[in-house]
Amino acid sequence: MSVSRISALGAIALSGALALSACASENNGATPGAGSTAAGSTAAGDCFSGDLKAEGSSAQKNAIDEAIKAYQTACADANIDYQPTGSGAGIKQFIAKQVDFAGSDSALKTEPKDGKIEADDAKASCGTEAWNLPMVTGPIAIAYNVKGVDKLVLNAEVAAKIFDGKITTWNDPAIAALNKGVTLPATPIKVFFRSDESGTTENFTKYLKAAAPDAWSYETGKKWTGKGEGKEKSAGVATATKGQDGGITYVELSYAQQNQLPMAQIDTGSGPVELTAESAGKTIATAKQTGMGNNLALKIDYATKEAGAYPIVLVTYEIVCSKYADAETGKKVKSFLKTFASDEVQKGLEAKGYAPLPTEVATKVQAAVDAIS
Amino acid sequence: MSTATDRRVPDDQVVPGETSTPPGGRSGREALSEMSNPHRARAVKDVVAKVVMWAAFFLAMVPLVWILGTVVAKGFHMLTTATWWTGNQRNINSDDFGGGARHAIEGTLQMVGFTALIAVPIGILTAVYLVEYGRGRLAKAISFTVDILSGVPSIVAALFIYAVWVTAFGFSRSGFAAALALVLLMIPVIVRSTEEMLKLVPNELREAAYALGVPKWATVVKIVLRTAFSGIVTGVLLGIARVMGETAPLLILAPYTKNFQRDLFNGNFPTLPMMINQDRGDFALATAAERMWGAALTLILLVLLLNVIGRVIAHFGAVKK
Repeated sequence: MSVSRISALGAIALSGALALSACASENNGATPGAGSTAAGSTAAGDCFSGDLKAEGSSAQKNAIDEAIKAYQTACADANIDYQPTGSGAGIKQFIAKQVDFAGSDSALKTEPKDGKIEADDAKASCGTEAWNLPMVTGPIAIAYNVKGVDKLVLNAEVAAKIFDGKITTWNDPAIAALNKGVTLPATPIKVFFRSDESGTTENFTKYLKAAAPDAWSYETGKKWTGKGEGKEKSAGVATATKGQDGGITYVELSYAQQNQLPMAQIDTGSGPVELTAESAGKTIATAKQTGMGNNLALKIDYATKEAGAYPIVLVTYEIVCSKYADAETGKKVKSFLKTFASDEVQKGLEAKGYAPLPTEVATKVQAAVDAIS
Repeated sequence: MSTATDRRVPDDQVVPGETSTPPGGRSGREALSEMSNPHRARAVKDVVAKVVMWAAFFLAMVPLVWILGTVVAKGFHMLTTATWWTGNQRNINSDDFGGGARHAIEGTLQMVGFTALIAVPIGILTAVYLVEYGRGRLAKAISFTVDILSGVPSIVAALFIYAVWVTAFGFSRSGFAAALALVLLMIPVIVRSTEEMLKLVPNELREAAYALGVPKWATVVKIVLRTAFSGIVTGVLLGIARVMGETAPLLILAPYTKNFQRDLFNGNFPTLPMMINQDRGDFALATAAERMWGAALTLILLVLLLNVIGRVIAHFGAVKK
């Protein structure tokens, strides 16, 4: 009985979603000028048939899943698979030519690390330059689970000390000083970190290093160097925090939302800032482009003091060859990324816990995608 | 070992004697309280042994029942949804309800079937060689190699294939590459079980065949393999069950796809363990967790079904006594 009811509900929800998306694309068609690369229209005229393989960052999984769904709904013969195995794995598989493009939470490295320069390896593998295309911006939440504490303010220094194991209980004076009027329990702090190589870790440590250089003495990187207990992938740290009173972790907004974890506000020096798509977008808008031409690697100012800007954000990139050795693959990548970068898909991502690309960046990305061959 | 057995023998011999002796006639070695009721001590021992035995039995059953119970309770209702047996996961994101597992069921069966196609002939022929023909160094070397192979962890087999197939030869990851790794895992299971079965075939049967002038190859095919048939089938099924839920080679060699995919040689490949793994990544979401349990139950049922089929084949294929 309940089963059939659930499936009936599912069917209703599904048909509802279909109807909605149909409405959306109609609307888009009717609005002249707005969103020239809308998913429905682009994909329908530009569908490929066959497989497209991608792998990488788990931070953008929920976003790319949405984009894939939008594309596959319009193109019945296209199969796009994304393996959320982590940024490090994605880049390795891309260089090994096992996937057509990689998802990564940080641009390809241009300095040597462990004797290898990622950007050069990728270039050698492609035969042409590899481009970093910012596609999704994901705010990173400091998610916590403390009984009776619904609102928590942290700043970079206190956060660095918590994640370094220097502050060990929730009623520590340093935390209390930032949270006047909040009763903090004496629960020990339990830090969870990503045990896999993760771009989220890299961006979070970059933030700690940039905004609290005195309190965070470690190197930044995909591997966690602070204290705590390791859990695999974004879902792992989010679930662990949810199941542990006193737990705290850094995780993408979407995972914190899915797990209904409260998120700390960040005091950048101009008052506590709550994490929203808008406050994260403000930080992205201050980012500088470090790549040349269509290589759109961004440098984020993590130490930003701009009012209302939430500083812990990551930009997740799609790493592509500028010119694919197999022209057919190039067409597939281009066609799909066009949909992904379209205003329609980008806007829909907000509901999934991502911040849309600021208009200025989005325009550049769309131009770069057009240049892929 | 032998001394322990020796010591036990007289004790056992005392026991039947005691039952016939009247209560008062027991030797002074026994404690007074036991003397008053000699049956009681034995009854107590009997009860204790029984309790321990049953406790051990239930202890062993706890994890089995627990696992099965959890998987059935959490996964059963996915199996009753309309699309589970017909659909795939295309366009079903982790926070969407439902979708089907047919792509993964077909993929798993196809991959395991292909694995069996390669591993079963090699395994059985190796066992035949070892039991019927092999003497001397070569046989010893093969036997030793099979022993080593059976100790190879699945992840090592997977990395070996990755090193050979992907890194050295430059092929893409595919269902076929994963099947190759599974072959490595399946062969030793089949060789060992078939070997045991062939050894159980009485030598008199072979001798009788030779006596009738049947050549050796015909004896092996028509007499030995025929007699051991049901045992060999059981061994093959054990091998299949071993590789069906194997995940490490799939993680490394066969990336998951949510779509139907029947091409083992190109592209990503859907399998049930990978489907479980994919949804495990989002198991905090009720929708993904339900799919994960559903896929787990489906995999268990698939193994169970294969076992039942195997029993039936073994039953009807067995030599009539």
